[in-house]
Amino acid sequence: MVIVSLQGVGKEYVTDGQSVKALDGITLAVQAGEFVALVGRSGCGKSTLLNLAGAMDFPTQGEVLIDGISTCTLDDAGQTKLRREKVGFVFQSFQLLHTLTVLENVELPLLLAGNPAARQEARERLEWVELQGLGERFPHQLSGGQMQRVAIARALVHSPKLLLADEPTGNLDTTTGSLILELLQRLTREQHTATIMATHSIEAAAMSDTLVRLRDGHIEEITRR
Amino acid sequence: MARLKLFYRLMVRPLLREPVRMGLTILAVAIGVALVLAIELAGNAAAGSFHSSMETLAGDYTQEIVAAGGVPDRVVGLLAIEPVPLRVSPRIEDFATAVDSQETLPLIGIDMIAEGSRTMSADATQPGAHPTAEPAEIALKRLEEPTSVWVGSSLKKKTGEHMELLFNDQTLLCTVRGVYADANGSENAIVMDLAGAERALKRQGRVDRILLKIPENVDAGDWQKRIASLLPAGVEIRAQGAGTAENRKMLAAFRWNLRLLSYIALVVGAFLIYNTISISVVRRRAEIGVVRALGASRGTIFVAFVGEAGGIGLAGAILGLPLGRLLAGGAVKLMALTVDLLYVSSRPGPMALTSSSLLLALCIGVGVAVVSALAPSREAMQVSPVDLMARGRREYVARMHKGRDLVIAAVLAMAAALVSRLPAVGGKPLFGYLATIFLIGASAYAIPALVSFVSRMSSGLLRKLFGVEALLASRSLVGSLGRTSVLVGALATAVAMMTSVGIMVGSFRQTVVSWMDHQLPADLYLRPAGQPAADRHPAMSAELTEKIAKLPGVAGMDRLRAYEIDYEGMPVTLASMEAQVLGPYDKSNFFSGRPAAEVLSDLRGQSSVLVSEPFTYKHHVKAGDSIELALGGSRARFQILDVYYDYSSERGTILMDRETLLKYLHDPTPTNVAVFVKAGTKPEEVRREILEAAAGHRILISSDRDLRAEAVRIFDRTFAITYALEAVAVLVAVMGIAGALLALVIDRRRELGLLRFLGATSNQIRKLILVEAGLLGLLANVAGFVLGYFLSLILVFVINKQSFGWTIRFHWPVAVLCGALTVVYAATVLAGLYPAEVAVRLNPLEVVHEE
Repeated sequence: MVIVSLQGVGKEYVTDGQSVKALDGITLAVQAGEFVALVGRSGCGKSTLLNLAGAMDFPTQGEVLIDGISTCTLDDAGQTKLRREKVGFVFQSFQLLHTLTVLENVELPLLLAGNPAARQEARERLEWVELQGLGERFPHQLSGGQMQRVAIARALVHSPKLLLADEPTGNLDTTTGSLILELLQRLTREQHTATIMATHSIEAAAMSDTLVRLRDGHIEEITRR
Repeated sequence: MARLKLFYRLMVRPLLREPVRMGLTILAVAIGVALVLAIELAGNAAAGSFHSSMETLAGDYTQEIVAAGGVPDRVVGLLAIEPVPLRVSPRIEDFATAVDSQETLPLIGIDMIAEGSRTMSADATQPGAHPTAEPAEIALKRLEEPTSVWVGSSLKKKTGEHMELLFNDQTLLCTVRGVYADANGSENAIVMDLAGAERALKRQGRVDRILLKIPENVDAGDWQKRIASLLPAGVEIRAQGAGTAENRKMLAAFRWNLRLLSYIALVVGAFLIYNTISISVVRRRAEIGVVRALGASRGTIFVAFVGEAGGIGLAGAILGLPLGRLLAGGAVKLMALTVDLLYVSSRPGPMALTSSSLLLALCIGVGVAVVSALAPSREAMQVSPVDLMARGRREYVARMHKGRDLVIAAVLAMAAALVSRLPAVGGKPLFGYLATIFLIGASAYAIPALVSFVSRMSSGLLRKLFGVEALLASRSLVGSLGRTSVLVGALATAVAMMTSVGIMVGSFRQTVVSWMDHQLPADLYLRPAGQPAADRHPAMSAELTEKIAKLPGVAGMDRLRAYEIDYEGMPVTLASMEAQVLGPYDKSNFFSGRPAAEVLSDLRGQSSVLVSEPFTYKHHVKAGDSIELALGGSRARFQILDVYYDYSSERGTILMDRETLLKYLHDPTPTNVAVFVKAGTKPEEVRREILEAAAGHRILISSDRDLRAEAVRIFDRTFAITYALEAVAVLVAVMGIAGALLALVIDRRRELGLLRFLGATSNQIRKLILVEAGLLGLLANVAGFVLGYFLSLILVFVINKQSFGWTIRFHWPVAVLCGALTVVYAATVLAGLYPAEVAVRLNPLEVVHEE
């Protein structure tokens, strides 16, 4: 089942009167349970692609469909709703709120959605990432790897169909990074989530089911394993 | 030059990218500077003149002879026949009201034959004098006419024109014989011949002052002794202008208290500058690290941030100068009213931005800004470059020593309690002021612990009541505890001043209202028409009061007579009343606790006096002590029988029985009359009878209710300037909150962007910022209210008592406080509206992906 589909997608920015094409003619479909790695040099459009796929931005050409819903037809409130229900994000720099405990960070998306069962769900996600004993700690009391696992738990707390990870191992050492990649891989399969991961890391790319190589805003190559 | 360029690029240019926040901070400083300048300028102007017409027309006389109730005419004769080269000028100095404009002006009676011709013809040729002034020869011929007057040019009268003037309770149609240049009104007066003034005021045999010019190059002290030996007992000689100096001294406490109130806005501004520089330091950590790594010393970093603050202070001072001059125009009117009603008649002097006021503004603006920036600048210079540039550490969390700060707060609070018990220094409540500074400092040190405690305790409850946004808001306040504490401190200080002054004024008002319930036992009160003032006592004609006493509806009449005298170098009111008449009705509270009837009965006809509470405080006397007064050619001792509460004037009052005073000062005319109506007769009927009897006289008749209402109205007006100062301080604080919230939004843009990624809607972001503003406002209101309560204790029981000598009973003005705190709270939440919109408009893509 296709979870996210980009059809002829392009994104153009105008800065100081100059037009810059960040993406052009992108066509890509990701299935449920598929782990996709986006590789390419800095500035090739990986983050832009993730933003479009996650309904954080609108394409200037083409169409993005998330679980069959076109993001172009949605206003800001509609996009927010779509993200709440179907998309999870993991960032390179973890992006945890330092004033909240681990448990509070994980349950945050459900609280924003007004879900009364947020705490229970959050505890469960912490078990998924094997951090069940650290719920009352604050982020500054965790290691980098632990913080990223919390971020992954948060990204999955609302059971999204699509998980978008932007350089999730970029701030981690090799060993920890590998553990995180294994976690992402496992969760993708177990939860049947479609995962798209932007990465510079060859090891990360090697763990994916599909490798999408970007160059100057175009898809240069798609390799399915 | 290179350093200036660097300073501009690294320090000034980043500030220009946040025009709204910088604008608010500079405006806050400007308002603080403007207030201080306005109060200073207005105070100088309001206190500046004091009969300046009198002083100006005193010419080059160097000494003056004065006596309570006036100097007997015969003293002029005594001096005139002395074989010494003295120039002698007797003066009548009183007031007259122009009936058409209702303007009350100083009235000066001088010997026109001896000096008027010289003065008037010379002045008539001065710039600004009316071109139609009569030549001196013709003017001299007019001197004999008792209704001839000379007036200042600002009255816009022409020679030959008639003007109706009210002298005491009767009007007289006078003719303008000449106009003199009066320095745009500040030296305006009605000048008459001495005899004409005596006739108009119905005062014979006395003058108010005799001015003397002693020979040049002689020992003034020797001459003073020589002349003093000629004078009868009770008449004294002193340096000319001593009265003005006394009046200025009397005003000192009033001006000091207003000055300190004006500094509150500056204190609030200081908090905001501290916050601004702290934000600057946090944001530019990486730049500081780079610059240090490239060779800048710690001192350079320190100077850079202090320089930034100095720049903000300078900009604020420059903006504050014209604003202060503008505000001074309004302030002087309010202050002049208070001075007139409670102290002494005055006409505000001219106001001008002099070089000293310019310097004051610059020093205050720059000084406060620099001092506020010292701590964060010191912090910036002490961190190592490696720490500053460390990657991945975006947040610099200032270490908060809450435990240590709480101890400091406790020590400061105890110090405040101790020093508040110390006595005044030179009549000024310096230790009271110090205690307030200690208390404000204590609160500043305690606030971080308060914010932390309340936020931690309440976040669960807040989440249940207001949702996840409230949880995030309360946690973020703790997360930026250093900054939050400063914001709360700034607003709490303003709220505390508002609360403490509100309690003090409310207590004072309630005390006065309760006091007045016992003070006006009569049914009707009469006085000559014209504007009242603390030192003006126009008299009613004796024949009119005799007529009124005989009216069928009148049961009794208390004739009060007041004089302004000098006692131990301070102006004091000497008054007499009819103890026999008043005794059965009076319900005044005396310090002894004895019934008023008993006290007044003991006073009748005796050489005893009652004194007011301010008098006892200023002159350090009590019941049982005796005082010596120079009255009408003799010196007499009087025993203080009792002390009474008096809130009608800050001057001290000495009260004696009418019979006793008439022995020394023989003028029987009263300045006020209290009429007791016969039982069964309506006061309105008696009012009509009095008006009929008073045909041809200008008097005002008020009921006790009218007087009470008028007294409360005057009370409220005298505190108008106080309310204005408080309101501005609160405004400055709320502006600071708006600016600081904006800074917080900008600094938390990554967090806010992340929330959008996690599914937060625009309304949720908006709600988060507004709840934060609401929490800041609530914390500040609570902290400010508690601090304000303790400050009010110092204001009521220390500062007010030591400044003015009044006993004020503590009273909670609940409605006023609730209203004011609600308005402040609402303003704080509203201040969050713009930052909330900025937060909503942030592009999450830009802010989250910054690496």
